[in-house]
Amino acid sequence: MSFSHLNRRGVIAAGLASAALPRIAFASGLTDKRLVIVLLRGAMDGLTAAPAFGDPDYERARNGIGTPRPGDGDGAALDLNGFFGLYPALRGMHARYSKGELVVFHAIASPYRDRSHFDGQNLLENGSAAPFGLADGWANRALEGLPDAMKSGRKDLGIAIAASMPLMMRGAAPVTSWSPSILPAPNVDLVARIKAMYDVGDPVLAKALSAAADANGAAAGSGQGSDAFAVLMGAAARFMKAPDGPCLAMVESAGWDTHANQLGAFGVLSRNLAGLDQGIDALADGLGAKWSDTAVLIMTEFGRTVAMNGTRGTDHGTAGAAFLVGGAVKGGRVIADWPGLRPGDLYAGRDLKPTADLRSLMKAMLVEHLGVDSGHVERVVFPDSQGAPMTTGLFRT
Amino acid sequence: MNLQDAAIAANRFGLGARPGQIRTIASDPRGWLKAQLTPETTPPAPIAALPRTEAATEAFNTWLKSIGLTAANATGLYEKSSGVASMGAGARMGAPGLPPGVSIEQSFIRTLGPGYAQAVQARMQVAISTERPYFERLVRFWGNHFTVSGSKPNAFPIVGIVERDVVRSRCTGRFHDMLLASCKHPGMLIYLDNYVSIGPNSVIAKNPGVLPPFLREILKGLNENLGREILELHTLGVRSGYTQADVTSLAKVITGWMVRQREGQDRTESNSGADASSMFIFRSAAHEPGPQSVLGKTYAQTGLAQGEAALTDIARHPSTARFLATKLVRHFISDEPPPSAVERIAKVFRDTEGDLLAVSVALVDTPEAWDAGLQKFKPPEDYLTSALRALNGKPELSGQQLIALLSRMGQRPFYAPGPNGWADTGGEWIGPDAIWKRVEWADALAKGVADAKIDPSLIAQEALGPSLTPSTLHAIKLAESPAQGLALFLTAPEFQRR
Repeated sequence: MSFSHLNRRGVIAAGLASAALPRIAFASGLTDKRLVIVLLRGAMDGLTAAPAFGDPDYERARNGIGTPRPGDGDGAALDLNGFFGLYPALRGMHARYSKGELVVFHAIASPYRDRSHFDGQNLLENGSAAPFGLADGWANRALEGLPDAMKSGRKDLGIAIAASMPLMMRGAAPVTSWSPSILPAPNVDLVARIKAMYDVGDPVLAKALSAAADANGAAAGSGQGSDAFAVLMGAAARFMKAPDGPCLAMVESAGWDTHANQLGAFGVLSRNLAGLDQGIDALADGLGAKWSDTAVLIMTEFGRTVAMNGTRGTDHGTAGAAFLVGGAVKGGRVIADWPGLRPGDLYAGRDLKPTADLRSLMKAMLVEHLGVDSGHVERVVFPDSQGAPMTTGLFRT
Repeated sequence: MNLQDAAIAANRFGLGARPGQIRTIASDPRGWLKAQLTPETTPPAPIAALPRTEAATEAFNTWLKSIGLTAANATGLYEKSSGVASMGAGARMGAPGLPPGVSIEQSFIRTLGPGYAQAVQARMQVAISTERPYFERLVRFWGNHFTVSGSKPNAFPIVGIVERDVVRSRCTGRFHDMLLASCKHPGMLIYLDNYVSIGPNSVIAKNPGVLPPFLREILKGLNENLGREILELHTLGVRSGYTQADVTSLAKVITGWMVRQREGQDRTESNSGADASSMFIFRSAAHEPGPQSVLGKTYAQTGLAQGEAALTDIARHPSTARFLATKLVRHFISDEPPPSAVERIAKVFRDTEGDLLAVSVALVDTPEAWDAGLQKFKPPEDYLTSALRALNGKPELSGQQLIALLSRMGQRPFYAPGPNGWADTGGEWIGPDAIWKRVEWADALAKGVADAKIDPSLIAQEALGPSLTPSTLHAIKLAESPAQGLALFLTAPEFQRR
């Protein structure tokens, strides 16, 4: 009932040649894309990850934790466009910016405006405009709206590289989860008997067990026994590389809540950013040629205070930075409506003011990259998001 | 005799039935639960044998000193690291006092790991052998409520004693006593950064010269982490109406609530309010002077009394009653807390000004708790505990084995991912990978303990009573071996749920 991969490409090529391709046919032709969502739990300090060193108030406003401007010593920022830079640990990301694979978004936030991690993450994952506004996740709802051609032949549309299913991935669409293990695989007959037991009266456990048995078949040979971020990203690549592999993966990274001593030789933020950079490289390496069909969104629940707090860290804030990286991304750009860092420019007198909505970019990656129907995205994936129109032109065509 | 209620008492309120227990308690399941709610005067022996508060609190700095680092030049080690690994790349750097070929991370684990493993094993030993499983569930509940996680390296040596110091003697007392004990415990003060938070107008902020040099580097200004989490996670609950100004004010109110430094007295230290046996100290020179307004009430007290008064009020606030009642009902009864049950518990909390004995009794008397439907899914720690109880404590697992096992299942002991503690709904725990890890473990365990003499259907009947379904019993009886039958029992829906 669906075209084979090659046949669909043939159809697109013919359509383009005639220059009369209806929009819908084009969307359904975006068949073999991959999307990875990296959620940095704990609130990444966007002004460290992507310093706005060109802002005349940057150094003063950060009062001690500003990243030095490019060329200014060892810990200096890597220049992007003379105004924004990247933290020096993000060397691989910087190279990808130069290759046109990275877009940096700044002063961007979800609609959440309070400062609870747990509410902030819940909103970011459920996709409504309120914490606990919906009981399932936007990524799962998005998968339900994939073109039929993309759904067919795939057992799992998405995968979470996590020991438990994150809210963002929960819902009716078929998704699975996986994390590294070191125990020997259980006997096949035992698994069949357990499955039969679950089939009698516990569909929730039955579904989970089937998905796990499939994932563990697919993950053979993945980097087992480690939970470093790069290993998780490498595993995501292994799953997604298969022609019928999941088209969406979610990978989590925890430990971004840097209230104290965030920088320096032992600083947890420096270390996390270096790990993030290695993770992107591991994903790209693992995907090989598939990287050119891939986009990765890196986001966090909110930003952190502009000024350093009393303990050489930062407290919960509002807007921050997000990254869109991948072979399918039309990159080499910073997209920001910069609000400034003077005291009067700050949100609530302390935070970077949000001037962009993460959902604008999420909509683009669902519609323009994965080919999810835009009506479905507006109505079902991100209800109450009229104020966040889709950002266009983020992907290579 | 009510075997159904007995199974609910042992499994839903307790830590899982031991062989014979369901019949033993069937004459009065509710009475059996309530009789467990007496104050604990002395902790069980394995818990009492854990290190003293002073030793656990000083262990991190002692270790730092042993490898030639100080608080000032190893600041990054204090912070939470990513994932479940105790430390990341930064810890692989060298330190002057390390033996050749040993990384900071290896040294950390070798020095401080044994204490952690001891605490994990002690907790499991008590959970398996206790005659008061409902009491132990309450200890776990409140310990999780006031989470101190080992994900932060300088809290790591302390996590195993927090339940003993803060919860065990108070979980049948008044909630405000437990809140104050938590806020004064070195574990919480370190985990949520209050030990380095000073008032912007405090003596120390105005004149850092009063401090000895080793503190001057650390004490720089206000940190609102604990203040926020008290309101959001420990008392009122998020979105209950407090503001950023309330958070900042409460953070100021508890400035000076700190941890005694091993280096001994300095000129800014004062002992007022310090419990002689604890590591808590109120440092008045770090305290923000002047009245503070929290939740619309002004606290004009000076010193420690200001924070004690504010926290006592917050602990008795109606929002706190509702928030805690919801959490308790969600924990013991259903992922979807019935409003009638929540209101019942909240009313008892309000009427008794937070008497946790009355609240725990009221939970037992809540009709919704005795519905035969299995509405809760056991998190890994409780799942493993109930399995070992059903198997009469066999096999005996070392602390290291328990840590490895529970980490794989997604619940490394004393290592909650954040200050909100472990999740308490099935959706958080029932993922394909989590279920698979249980199957792997059940298979490995069954192969290890099952010999021809065990009877898995009898073990299942003893553990589950009337909750064991005919189809599961049938599957166990049809198993190809006792080991496989045991694995089927351990993975059965009615054993993973309660």
